[in-house]
Amino acid sequence: MDDDVLTTLKLLIIGESGVGKSSLLLRFTEDTFDPEQSATIGVDFKVKTLAIDGNKAKLAIWDTAGQERFRTLTPSYYRGAQGVILVYDVTKRDTFTKLENWLNELETYTTRNDIVKMLVGNKIDRDDHEVDRNEGLKFARKHAMLFIEASAKTKDGVQCAFEELVEKILQTPGLWESESQGQTLRLGNQEQGGGRACGGYCSVP
Amino acid sequence: MIIFDNVNMAAVTDPESEVFEITDFTTASEWERFVSRVEEVLNEWKLTGNSTRKLSKEKADYSNGTWEEKSQEINFVDFTFSMTHYALVQENENDTNTELEEAPFPLAMQDLLCTKNDFPPRAHCLVRWYGIREFVVISPGPNVEAIISESKCNLLLSSISVSLVNSGCQVPMFVQIQQKWRRLYSGECQGHGVHTEFEMVHLRKVPSQYNHLSGLLDIFKSKTGYTIYPLPPINVAIRFTYILQDWQQHSWPLQPPDFDNLLGGEVGVEEFGKLPFGACEETISELHLSTTWPELTEGTVLDNDVYSDLDPLHAPHWALRIKTVEHPQCLLGDLLTDLFKLRGRKETTEEILGRGSAEEEGKDSTISSALSRLTEPAAPVPISKLSVSSMVHNARRHIQRHRLNDESPLGIEELNCILQYLFPDAAMDKTENQSAQPNSYGKSQKDQNTDDLFIQLKSAPVESLTHRLALCMCLVNSYHGGLRAVAYLWQEFVLELRYRWENNYQICGLQEELPDLRCCLLHQKLQMLNCCIKRKQARDNICNTPERSSETASQNVHQPTQFTATASSSQITAGSPGKSLDSWSDSEEEFFECLSDQGDTETPSMRREKDGSKTRAEGRMHPCNNMTLLNSSELLFIPVTQEPAPMTEDLLEEQSEILAKLGTSAEGAQLRARMQSACLLSDMESFKAANPGSVLEDFVRWYSPRDFLEEEIVNETSQTILKGQLSPRMKIPGNIWVETWENAKAVPAHRQRRLFDDTREAEKVLHFLEVQKPADLSCHLLPCIIHAAILKLKEEEASENIPSVKNNIQKVTVQASKLLQQFNPDYSNLQDCIDFLIAMEMVIAQYRSLKTKFAIAEAENEEQRENLRQFLNSLLEDPEVVVSGAGHGKIGGIIHRLFVNVQESANLDKEPGQKKNEERKLTEGDSKNHDFPSPAGREILLRTCIPRPAPYSKSLPQRLFCVLTRDEFRLVGAFSSDTSFF
Ligand SMILES: Nc1nc2c(ncn2[C@@H]2O[C@H](COP(=O)(O)OP(=O)(O)O)[C@@H](O)[C@H]2O)c(=O)[nH]1
Ligand SMILES: [Mg+2]
Repeated sequence: MDDDVLTTLKLLIIGESGVGKSSLLLRFTEDTFDPEQSATIGVDFKVKTLAIDGNKAKLAIWDTAGQERFRTLTPSYYRGAQGVILVYDVTKRDTFTKLENWLNELETYTTRNDIVKMLVGNKIDRDDHEVDRNEGLKFARKHAMLFIEASAKTKDGVQCAFEELVEKILQTPGLWESESQGQTLRLGNQEQGGGRACGGYCSVP
Repeated sequence: MIIFDNVNMAAVTDPESEVFEITDFTTASEWERFVSRVEEVLNEWKLTGNSTRKLSKEKADYSNGTWEEKSQEINFVDFTFSMTHYALVQENENDTNTELEEAPFPLAMQDLLCTKNDFPPRAHCLVRWYGIREFVVISPGPNVEAIISESKCNLLLSSISVSLVNSGCQVPMFVQIQQKWRRLYSGECQGHGVHTEFEMVHLRKVPSQYNHLSGLLDIFKSKTGYTIYPLPPINVAIRFTYILQDWQQHSWPLQPPDFDNLLGGEVGVEEFGKLPFGACEETISELHLSTTWPELTEGTVLDNDVYSDLDPLHAPHWALRIKTVEHPQCLLGDLLTDLFKLRGRKETTEEILGRGSAEEEGKDSTISSALSRLTEPAAPVPISKLSVSSMVHNARRHIQRHRLNDESPLGIEELNCILQYLFPDAAMDKTENQSAQPNSYGKSQKDQNTDDLFIQLKSAPVESLTHRLALCMCLVNSYHGGLRAVAYLWQEFVLELRYRWENNYQICGLQEELPDLRCCLLHQKLQMLNCCIKRKQARDNICNTPERSSETASQNVHQPTQFTATASSSQITAGSPGKSLDSWSDSEEEFFECLSDQGDTETPSMRREKDGSKTRAEGRMHPCNNMTLLNSSELLFIPVTQEPAPMTEDLLEEQSEILAKLGTSAEGAQLRARMQSACLLSDMESFKAANPGSVLEDFVRWYSPRDFLEEEIVNETSQTILKGQLSPRMKIPGNIWVETWENAKAVPAHRQRRLFDDTREAEKVLHFLEVQKPADLSCHLLPCIIHAAILKLKEEEASENIPSVKNNIQKVTVQASKLLQQFNPDYSNLQDCIDFLIAMEMVIAQYRSLKTKFAIAEAENEEQRENLRQFLNSLLEDPEVVVSGAGHGKIGGIIHRLFVNVQESANLDKEPGQKKNEERKLTEGDSKNHDFPSPAGREILLRTCIPRPAPYSKSLPQRLFCVLTRDEFRLVGAFSSDTSFF
């Protein structure tokens, strides 16, 4: 692995089929838009190295299909993910209403509750919006997610979405370090004093 | 060392300081270098200049406040010292700075006189002795010999003195001299034309003339040159500490459980699900009662060699602390430790039990089971498969046991008891039917609603087979034969699983249909095996049931009318004698045989019809939203599909690694899609079979509806109609969906090649299980055991209500959860968690011990009981707890009683028959002699403010702290003098 890479993060993109998950990922990793992108089968995978505040993070991003039949596969990819991008299509209300289902599934299959979630409303380049920005915002707030509207086609918001997500992950203690040592356990009266060279804390006798 | 020059103590001077040494400690320049280094550090630490801090009027929290420590190594020639700065973090420091005023003398000197912070329950000894909140200590570094010779001591003290003067530092500075354990310090504080010397005397015995307050007052007076008149009063604070350590009145309440009984026939099988708990010995070794007289003045109290006013019962202030037994033997703790230790054993099961034993037994099982199947007496009522299983099983076990009886590490009784506990269905009532089995532990389902602990800890649900196995292994490891028994039980366990696989009996107690990735790997593996057994059963059912109603076996939805043709065909199959009933059975060969069977019996005329709507539909589940096919008026049916392959986390990991390895190029992505398209192909084939004459558009409308775009268009006759088409991405020529559709043949799911090879997967799981060593097993089971231990602690805590334990259970759960969620848990950190669990068991045991000692059950009313409960909880949490009401309060009464009981029995031993009680009642003030033992420690603190060295000098703080114990006499003095007017 590259020496200067601070950490490798596992990200996941989920949401109904056709909302533009694969297109967002292609935009982010290769900065292109491919109208000929075929519908994902099972899961797909891309990597990209991102520099945040001078630190390089290697991102391993799993793209999922979204169709009902492929769903049995995806939960296994939730495991160990530090971040999730949840996508809906601003021109299709039903992709927005289905978000609850996706969150439920996420809740069921992720064990850590500190996983960072980003909500992306995609295809804002189109003008037949069915979901208002405020609705997305409200939903994100309700579920403690980051939120952005984006377009894989015009690249609006795409880079930003990934960067914000990664930044947030790096700011979350214990989420990305391999060791999550954190606080040491201490119990009331026990194991205090002692150990000090001078005999430290004393009482009589 | 420094000797109090005014007092003649030559006779009792410690002999160790007399050692003569030739000093070539340093040259002048080395000395100067050292001094400047000390100054440098003081500057670095910004300790120079006026003390800007003001003495806060309130009591500073010396024990619980935060003490900051900074350390720096400094050298004197080749001597390494460590220089450390200690300071209490003042919470309201900013406030006091704003109302800064010139202090009359350095903060430390004010601290000497402050009476608010006497006898802190926990503090650095210099803090206790001098009452100071900030100081610097120079002590020999680790592995450096102590400063013993007087010349070296003096040299160091002068260095300090010079550096303090040079730097203008007003923080007191000490050097540690003599052996570390003696805790001897000398030091100095400078500032504002005043100067305080810190000196100590440390002896092994208390000289008799100083064994009381009046003698100590004499020393203090003569040392300070207490010459002026009228004499300012000497402030006196006294603290006596009494130790209670003889618990014969209260034998330890818990008897260790009888483990033979746990397994014996009398105690139910359920006993195996319980973890032992509690300490096997006393956990509280001593009670320390400190009685304090905080503010006395010389003359108001009498304490000399013949008489004393100091009756502990009437002391205004009582505080209690406990001393706990360091590592008492605790049952749960031992169990956890034993299991954790198993991790270090490298032996394989084979090595432990002897080569070949597994195969031999395996062979034995098939023979014996075949045998017993034949010899089993015919039951009067039709018996279910399961009861046969259990009988066959018991027979096998019997034969086996017979053979192994002598060498087997576990007795037959024990093993049977354990296996019955693990596989309760094997012993179930014969009439109980199999379908009831998997749900047989409804209890756990309820538990689960309130308890998702198994998800947090990545263990397995309580009551699941895995959880129960963990408990058994743990008990067997600790109490029934250790490593060998663990290996043996494991082998038996795996044999039972193999037996179930081979004979199509489900494993009960695994709940989920598919491996639950939130559980531990072992649990997933067992679930996987169960999946395999279920699939195999389902296959058998399809072929066995005369009416092929369960084509949809897994979905449990069927339309018998749809299957008329195939139903007859399967009837023939089932009826044909000598044919294997396992139509979908193990090898591919058999699979094709089965296929051709069915092909032969298929109505030929139907088959030969040309492609089109007339072709017989097969494998339909139900119509899809009343949609009709695009090219006909037939309903669009959702087909019966193959269920997705169950996966355990290690398989998934493997798979995702393979997928990731394909890289991120377009070709890689293409390959990845192709590798995953087997399921799509299978679904397309099922769809085609269920919907003859369908097109890709039809499939997409069911499978990926968002890729079928419908538009309202107005046709020639001005009607708006819906016109649909594939999404652009589906229309791309040659895309994998189109390609797969074109390759898909109309084959119903049950005739397709299996996506999931249950035979292979089952064998893989069994092999995985067979090769696990006891050490691996202990790792696999650790999450379940930690889970069980946490539950046990919760349960035990709940019966006592100990807030600190409750809190800590929460903490340890979070910590363990973090560790166990990692792919490769860090075992050294897990060890910490286990130690922590053990410590909690100890605390609960300590609490229980205190509860009996303080007779909480006999409290007069609920309020009192609650007070007592809180008091005991504080004893466990805090270093020292104030007894409200001192000797006259309720709790004080109980403590008093405890001492009296012990004294009485001690007196009884000494002078049997003597009536001490009457004697005692004569003089109230004399009661200490009888109710309490003589104090184990006495601390006497004398303070005053007088001019020194001359009567016209400034009036300055003087302090002497005296410690008198059985084997220590320590005088700790701080004497200030005016350096400008003397
Ligand atoms: N106008 C527009 N179309 C988009 C955008 N993103 C994706 N699409 C189109 O939406 C369809 C589905 O996109 P895809 O990335 O395959 O979605 P996925 O199934 O969620 O991966 C494709 O035809 C894309 O060309 C976008 O930002 N704007
Ligand atoms: Mg896609």
